Amino acid sequence: MPGGGQCPDCGSTELVEDSHYSQSQLVCSDCGCVVTEGVLTTTFSDEGNLREVTYSRSTGENDGVSRSQQRGLRRVRDLCRVLQLPSTFEDTAVAYYQQAYRHSGIRAARLQKKEVLVGCCVLITCRQHNWPLTMGTICTLLYADLDVFSGTYMQIVKLLGLDVPSLCLADLVKTYCSSFKLFQASPSVPATYVEDKEKMMSRTLQLVELADETWLVTGRHPLPVITAAAFLAWQSLQPSHRLACSLARFCKVANVELPCPAPSRLQELVAVLLRMAEQLAWLRVLQLDKRSVVKHIGDLLQHRHTLVRKAFRDGPEGLEAGEEEEPREQCQGPGQGKEVARSPFGLPAGKRLAGPALLLPPCMLKPPKRVCPPPPVSTVTGDENISDSEIEQYLRTPQEVKDFEKAQAAREAAKSVSNPDVQAGQG
Amino acid sequence: MIFLAEGMAKAALGRYWRKSPDLRAKQLLSWRRSAVIAAGERPLPCGLLPRSPLSPFLLVTRGLGAEFRVPSPALHWVPGGCGSLAWAGAEAQGTDPRAPARPLLARTPARPRLANCARGADKRPVRHARSLDLSCSSTRLGAPLFRLPALLTLGPPPMEEEQAYLELYLDQCAAQDDLAPPRSLLLSPVVPDDGYIPNTSNSETVFNSHLEEVKASGHFSSVDLSFLPDELTQENKDQSVIRSKQDIEENCETPGQQSRMLLPREQDVGLGLISGSTLLNSHSQVYPGDADPVQPSPEKPNCTPLMSITPMTPVTPVSECSGIVPQLQNIVSTVNLACKLDLKKIALHAKNAEYNPKRFAAVIMRIREPRTTALIFSSGKMVCTGAKSEEQSRLAARKYARVVQKLGFPARFLDFKIQNMVGSCDVRFPIRLEGLVLTHQQFSSYEPELFPGLIYRMVKPRIVLLIFVSGKVVLTGAKERSEIYEAFENIYPILKGFKKA
Repeated sequence: MPGGGQCPDCGSTELVEDSHYSQSQLVCSDCGCVVTEGVLTTTFSDEGNLREVTYSRSTGENDGVSRSQQRGLRRVRDLCRVLQLPSTFEDTAVAYYQQAYRHSGIRAARLQKKEVLVGCCVLITCRQHNWPLTMGTICTLLYADLDVFSGTYMQIVKLLGLDVPSLCLADLVKTYCSSFKLFQASPSVPATYVEDKEKMMSRTLQLVELADETWLVTGRHPLPVITAAAFLAWQSLQPSHRLACSLARFCKVANVELPCPAPSRLQELVAVLLRMAEQLAWLRVLQLDKRSVVKHIGDLLQHRHTLVRKAFRDGPEGLEAGEEEEPREQCQGPGQGKEVARSPFGLPAGKRLAGPALLLPPCMLKPPKRVCPPPPVSTVTGDENISDSEIEQYLRTPQEVKDFEKAQAAREAAKSVSNPDVQAGQG
Repeated sequence: MIFLAEGMAKAALGRYWRKSPDLRAKQLLSWRRSAVIAAGERPLPCGLLPRSPLSPFLLVTRGLGAEFRVPSPALHWVPGGCGSLAWAGAEAQGTDPRAPARPLLARTPARPRLANCARGADKRPVRHARSLDLSCSSTRLGAPLFRLPALLTLGPPPMEEEQAYLELYLDQCAAQDDLAPPRSLLLSPVVPDDGYIPNTSNSETVFNSHLEEVKASGHFSSVDLSFLPDELTQENKDQSVIRSKQDIEENCETPGQQSRMLLPREQDVGLGLISGSTLLNSHSQVYPGDADPVQPSPEKPNCTPLMSITPMTPVTPVSECSGIVPQLQNIVSTVNLACKLDLKKIALHAKNAEYNPKRFAAVIMRIREPRTTALIFSSGKMVCTGAKSEEQSRLAARKYARVVQKLGFPARFLDFKIQNMVGSCDVRFPIRLEGLVLTHQQFSSYEPELFPGLIYRMVKPRIVLLIFVSGKVVLTGAKERSEIYEAFENIYPILKGFKKA
């Protein structure tokens, strides 16, 4: 109670500072009479000390909010600003955080979890607005573990009953490609490596769509696929100078981290392209391998829908359909065209598989690591007799017990000897 | 009671199937009506004549030496019921590769109606049960209703109407004569040679185990008849039993009731399967209205093969059921040993135990047969994991309890309960998970950044399924086997929708 004010109406000394909007007033708590108002600072003492009071402290918005929650809300806003998200996202994310905080499980959670919760709220907001943000990015920004993040994320989605759409692949491609530092010459980027952003982005997008169609994306982390696609796109735009560059070097030049699965995704994508190349007559004669096919990616992408349909089949019946379709297909390209009937037996080198391959995810194409034998027929009823001998085999004989105890004691002694300071501390 | 030879039964059915759907419906209704009227009055001269609501199936049953597995006819009495016959035929079809295509049976439009029949969780097991439903109800009725004729005789139909029916039936049977031999029905697995035979045989072994249990449990007199309505008299008992079975079957259309029905049916199946004669006898008991139970047909000796294999006729046609049975991979159960335990002593005296109090406050014990692991807590509670079937889990838990007993504790075996069951299977085609998460958003959660599979939380039954792009499905969270089967049957049509991109 500042000063020694008395209410003029009732004479009580119980004067309370209350802020009416941004105007601070001294109000008598007994009769409600406004004693003074219009003070430009919140408290007399502050005014007296000529100190500025922040907005958040002058309003009542944080009155009912605990300090950890306030901290969390601040972190949410900071994260949104760091990611340069639109302002509407900020409000949504804050709302989600507040909503989450109403649950007792979240209120009682560890600080680490609350920190991760900040990232979850931001991620959910971005997903709902189709803003491509990966969990990896958020974890890096929060210095959080992906396991902790995933646990909190699944929990909060279930708790709040939210409908979170999937990551939008096309937008992710655009964002990720823009982050490559290949679009301007610099000391680290040779002139031959510089590429036009639009061309590379469109080609990467086409390659990612191709990967999606041929089961290379389902069930996998999207980023390595995009990295591999970007690499292929970049190579194919100037193969003469870039074929020599490896994926790892490409990522280093582009100043982007190389994801672990990216090399295997690259191999899978190249295998798909090779299969498609077999369908084009003028490429078939060239007998492409995994490096030379890069030069023809442009052509392959131009006709990718047709080629995929012809190069792959869903089942055995697709084989005949594919064969039939061929003579009728219009194929742009010089040379023989479709008169060269693609006979599966006429392929020059025995390397390639005769006939269209099955369009399946790679996990189904690989032979199973171990064949699971069918479980043996068991006629157990659960109420059978249990023989004593069977149980005895699990029990130690008295001699064994003594030996075991001796061994344990010896081990304890050895441990205590090796930790003399511990012993001293205990002693 | 007249018991017609199998050929005649098939002919009658053949004629029946050649009718258009609405005519078939009328036929069935008239059969049913006549059956109801004549129920319990006198012995029927012609075993084919429908004297019970179940007659069309009875026809087939009788005609084919009662080896014909027929789903509960009460379920789909009207045109739907035909579907099951068609199915039965199709089953035969599936089994006999030599037989030519049978468009007559395969293309019956009645089949689609079976979509609303009970697609229980335990479809496979239920098939076993249902096919012997005739036996089921009979065993429930108990011995008094059991009437066995001594002979198989043919006689002139007493009524004009019956004559017509007889002719019809004979025609049908004649038509069906070219179809698969009846025996193959018995031996046929449900799934047409798709490579899932091991699975089906597995489900059958489950049944075998149930059978043995039931065998042990014994007499019909111990069977609970409380489901029967109160106003039963001896004459009407049969009829009402049939009707109540009808109701039960209809109720079974909701999967939720499947599990309840399963056990009694399984018991009945067990009883039925144990002896071929019992099987036929029970068939007869179902149709007491015919007033003369079925006489064991000449094919009776062939019933014994029934014991060794074949799943029963499913209620839905082959094309609608998946033909895949999830395999149980893990069962978690708990039991209360009801005594305080000294974990240190247990760890000291038992070879197969490990105890690290700093890490975990329980003894981890393992036995070799069945290969399981148990967590034994000092309060006397125990968790047993790793068994592949419910019986194995129970046996393993008992073995652990016995070990604890031998170590000197007064261990008992209270409140054994199965807490979780995990099953897995393979649909053999790739699945577009992105599409699935779009259409079933409220149930699915697919985060490729976190986990390669889609997590599908089914509401009814309450099971969590992990669906992978390779087509492998893991089902978990079940308290009963039937829930796993039901969940898989529910998800299979959804997955089939995403088969092609």
